[in-house]
Amino acid sequence: MAEPTNQTGRTEKTGSAKGPGRILVAVYGVLALAATGRSILQIVEYFDRAPLAYVLSALAAVIYIVATVGMARGDRTSTRVALVACTVELIGVLVVGAMSYAVPDAFPDKTVWSHFGSGYGYVPLVLPVLGIWWLRTARRSAG
Amino acid sequence: MFLLLTQILVAVALLLTVVATGFALFDKVIGNVVLGLAVLVELGVLIQLVRGLFAIPVLDGSGHKATFAAYLITLPFVLAITVYSAIKDKTRWAMGSIAVGAFAVAVMTLRLQQIWDLHG
Repeated sequence: MAEPTNQTGRTEKTGSAKGPGRILVAVYGVLALAATGRSILQIVEYFDRAPLAYVLSALAAVIYIVATVGMARGDRTSTRVALVACTVELIGVLVVGAMSYAVPDAFPDKTVWSHFGSGYGYVPLVLPVLGIWWLRTARRSAG
Repeated sequence: MFLLLTQILVAVALLLTVVATGFALFDKVIGNVVLGLAVLVELGVLIQLVRGLFAIPVLDGSGHKATFAAYLITLPFVLAITVYSAIKDKTRWAMGSIAVGAFAVAVMTLRLQQIWDLHG
């Protein structure tokens, strides 16, 4: 699908990487790095210990990367993709967070989303809410 | 082996975090103080990269090696990207992203030390 353009033929930007969005992009980028690093270690070294938890950890890492890139690019399509990624992330942290308390045996180690992100100072729980709010604000401002 | 470098690097990175946060709060844009501290951190990160690359073969376990290498190689880019963005876009928000980047450098450096200590 072609990217929407304005009258001068340039790709329309939502400005999702501008203003407070800069800090969000930085935090998302750092979390993407941390989650990727941890999931590499878990999958390579301990996969048999808790396959479900570690696959979800890898999924979280991919979603953080998608959200970071989408937010940083800031065109309409990328903003929409980032919004979907943030929504999946919010659902993920809530569902996995609840599961890690309900079925603790399935989550022997801390992952990004388990225990509502307590291993990362609950940043994974707060970040998608901020991300969704900011992306919606940026999209509305762009018209 | 890494301890002294880690201590210096974490101290300077945390100082940069505080200074950049102050700049963001008081709506000041990037200047010589932030740039100087960022250069010091970047220098430390590069020394750590070179030293760390030689240390990788000593580590046990492919997972720890992979994480160690991934952090080592990624670290120099974290602050470089945020500082570059702050030079291009002189706003308080860009200073906030430098604070986030510097804090990440401190945490990731401590994590590198933690992995090293498992095998040291």
